[in-house]
Amino acid sequence: MSTVAAAKASGRRTLGCIALSILGACVGLLFLIPLWWTFVNSLRPGGDTFRYLNPLQWETFFTMTPSLDNYAELLRSNLGLAMLNSIFVSAATVVIGLGICSMAAFALAAIPFRGSGAVFVVVVVSFLIPFDAIAIPLADLFRDWNLQNTYAGLILPGLGNGMAIFLLRTFFLAIPKDLVEAGRLDGLGWWGIFRRIYLPLSVPSLIGAGLTLFLFQWQSYVWPLLNGTDEQHILGPIALSNLQGQFNVDYGVMFAGSIVLTVIPLAIIIGFQRYFIQSVTTTGLK
Amino acid sequence: MAVPPVRRRRRASLVAVAAAFLAPALISLIVLRLAPAAVALWESLFRESFLRGGTVFVGFENYADLFGNADFNNALLVTLVFSAIVNPLQIAVSFLLAVLYTRKAAGAKVWRSLVVLPIAVPPAVSAVVWSVIYRPDGLGNSFLDLLGLPAQPFLTSPQQSLASIMVLLSWIGVGYWMLFLIAGINDVPNELYEAASIDGASAWRKLWSVTFPLVRRPLAFVLVADTVSNFLIFAPVQILTKGGPSGSSNLLMYDIYTRAYTLGDLSKAQAEVIILVLLTLAVVALQFRLLRSSDAA
Repeated sequence: MSTVAAAKASGRRTLGCIALSILGACVGLLFLIPLWWTFVNSLRPGGDTFRYLNPLQWETFFTMTPSLDNYAELLRSNLGLAMLNSIFVSAATVVIGLGICSMAAFALAAIPFRGSGAVFVVVVVSFLIPFDAIAIPLADLFRDWNLQNTYAGLILPGLGNGMAIFLLRTFFLAIPKDLVEAGRLDGLGWWGIFRRIYLPLSVPSLIGAGLTLFLFQWQSYVWPLLNGTDEQHILGPIALSNLQGQFNVDYGVMFAGSIVLTVIPLAIIIGFQRYFIQSVTTTGLK
Repeated sequence: MAVPPVRRRRRASLVAVAAAFLAPALISLIVLRLAPAAVALWESLFRESFLRGGTVFVGFENYADLFGNADFNNALLVTLVFSAIVNPLQIAVSFLLAVLYTRKAAGAKVWRSLVVLPIAVPPAVSAVVWSVIYRPDGLGNSFLDLLGLPAQPFLTSPQQSLASIMVLLSWIGVGYWMLFLIAGINDVPNELYEAASIDGASAWRKLWSVTFPLVRRPLAFVLVADTVSNFLIFAPVQILTKGGPSGSSNLLMYDIYTRAYTLGDLSKAQAEVIILVLLTLAVVALQFRLLRSSDAA
């Protein structure tokens, strides 16, 4: 290849790289705008939400006088209690759900018992039925069982998660069976093998499954709307959407609530990024 | 078959141990997932009787009534139109973005994470934020004004309500599906691209003939998972449009909700739940076919 042609090709490549960078940046910023605008508006009084919109100006997206008043107001309002409820319900779901799901995954992966195939079919079928679709018949059952407007009623449906069981089982299957034999020789029972051998070796997949359980609960809307709307048990997303429907909306507080409901899962996803990507790819590709 | 008593006892005890480990999960899956579906199926075959009190068995009459009901047929049509547009759109955008952000370019990782950022936004929060963007005096019309376009009614127009919902869903969805496709693209061996380059293939040609066929598997998964999740859209409809204007955004999940709670017709709502579950199961069954054929290829 002559030097002229090579220079031309590399020139075209640089040009292409610049074009791709600009395109990538524009798309990225486009996706950021709604969230950034929400964030900026949460830092200024609700009355100013529509002040800088017509025409668009730099103050639409920036404020020189940020204040946390909306967040303080949020803490005092019912929305604050709703956020606390969301945190409590999600945390309980993760802790109890991880226990339940990892035990089931252990039985399916490590214990050679008759009927394990049939049990696995039940697990798969149960996660093929989308939860939101059966939420209305389930809400009807929960009314009969007096579980409406209780924390138990909000937490229970999130506990048994077919996807989490599936994820953990995939990971547990990769643990060598020799370790089970060695554990048995050392006098460990099945519970000991589970607690002392499997759980400590599976921290990454436990985090991945915990994220699945957490996001299921944190993002849910249909179920808490059907099952827990009294003032004491209302969850964040429901309280926020109630606010939106009111005649006199304080947009500042509404945006602050939106930011809190987003930042909590965001911080958790970023903190456990590696495990999140891993669980995403495992569910997708295996 | 004669099994020595010791082994038989060991086997029985294994079942007991496994049952103890499995019980909490199995009970919750059966009671909270399978039972409600079974209850819906059972109750969809009955109807409340005012004459005799209680319920009477009516067979598939609830289903027949639904398919003769204009509102239900409209909801079914809206849902199918919605699926036929939103799924190809989201997947095409996710795929192109995945390709864009796996190329060598300045700051690709940073811009990519900005696209992924909205996946943390719960659907209800996305709906609330966009309700302000879509207001006549909101951010949406400010941008149209900047581009010299006339103001649009968005949610209050029967022609635009469904599209407006698609936009806010894509904002939180595209980044999520993109993650799967990026993982798929990164699995494509680099030598294949180099070989294609030596053969003088153009960038488009490489995209179509190398990347596209090799990410078929994650694409098939994303297609099905996206379709299932889009069958279940509820929060934006309930928060933004209540299915309107004039039924233009009345997706099945919201139709079930109004049938059960506003109209109070629980048995027909249960029949509709069954129709929705069957619809999603059909899509999932299709996934297994797709994945199997891509394995064979």
